[in-house]
Amino acid sequence: MKVILEKVSSPEDERALIKAAEVTEEIRSAMDLLENNCRSILVSELSDERSSGETIMLGTDKIYYTESIDKKTFVYTKEKCYGSKLRLYELEDTLSSNFFRCSKSLIVNIRKIRSVKSELNGRMIAELLNGEQLVISRSYVKDLKRKLGV
Amino acid sequence: MAKLKIIFSQTLMIASAILFGLGVEEAIDYIITGDIYMRWQWYIPLSIILCAFICSVPSIIFADERSSGRRFTVKVVIHFICIFAAVSLFGLLFGWYTDLAGFLVIAVMIVIIYAFTWVATYWLLKSDENKINDALKDVRDEE
Repeated sequence: MKVILEKVSSPEDERALIKAAEVTEEIRSAMDLLENNCRSILVSELSDERSSGETIMLGTDKIYYTESIDKKTFVYTKEKCYGSKLRLYELEDTLSSNFFRCSKSLIVNIRKIRSVKSELNGRMIAELLNGEQLVISRSYVKDLKRKLGV
Repeated sequence: MAKLKIIFSQTLMIASAILFGLGVEEAIDYIITGDIYMRWQWYIPLSIILCAFICSVPSIIFADERSSGRRFTVKVVIHFICIFAAVSLFGLLFGWYTDLAGFLVIAVMIVIIYAFTWVATYWLLKSDENKINDALKDVRDEE
């Protein structure tokens, strides 16, 4: 797609015009990024354990963490869990720099961590804003420190 | 693999701690007697490494342990008893002490080094924890 950038004098004059043949996932994501200042990903509501429900666009700022279980990817918000067709490593590329991998099967949103607690074995326990607790593996603690500039 | 790493790092730490203890003991001996030489049998350095390895093995009981609670306290007590027994036995076998006074010096050394290691470990863990929690305050969302 051809992208044209035209400079304007003030932020009030800023506009984005997208001309597209159809609204694809990428276009929708670009629109979300421009309109809401956050990306969105396509997720499926889980009606029960076996079948998936409605497919929706979920803003990444709503995501607490994502988890891979038996090659299936799940996306967790404050109170709900969604399924995603993307693999965890694909989500890792899609999600913003606010996310970091805290173990082989988990990617967590740093902005949703209330506090961390060190363990003797070098791991850390992260308590999220919704009260859930996740384990940050020893080898990924360095990544968290680097992301936070500690 | 994680347990092997724990054993390896613990072996190095304990060996360093034993050498530090012996160093302090010899420094005190020099101050008191003026003896500038430290005489060791050929097997003493190897016995220190072997003892450090044996003492590091009980550390794997903490590998999957959360650092609080009564269960954890019991593990610390068991861990200390294992280390005290191992060092005492090695000391007896390799002649680190020959009489009761020598054994008491070793016993005091074990207690001091053990307590120091826990205090240092706790301080390091808390220091990291506090730094991360302070940094999280700046980026955390309001809910």
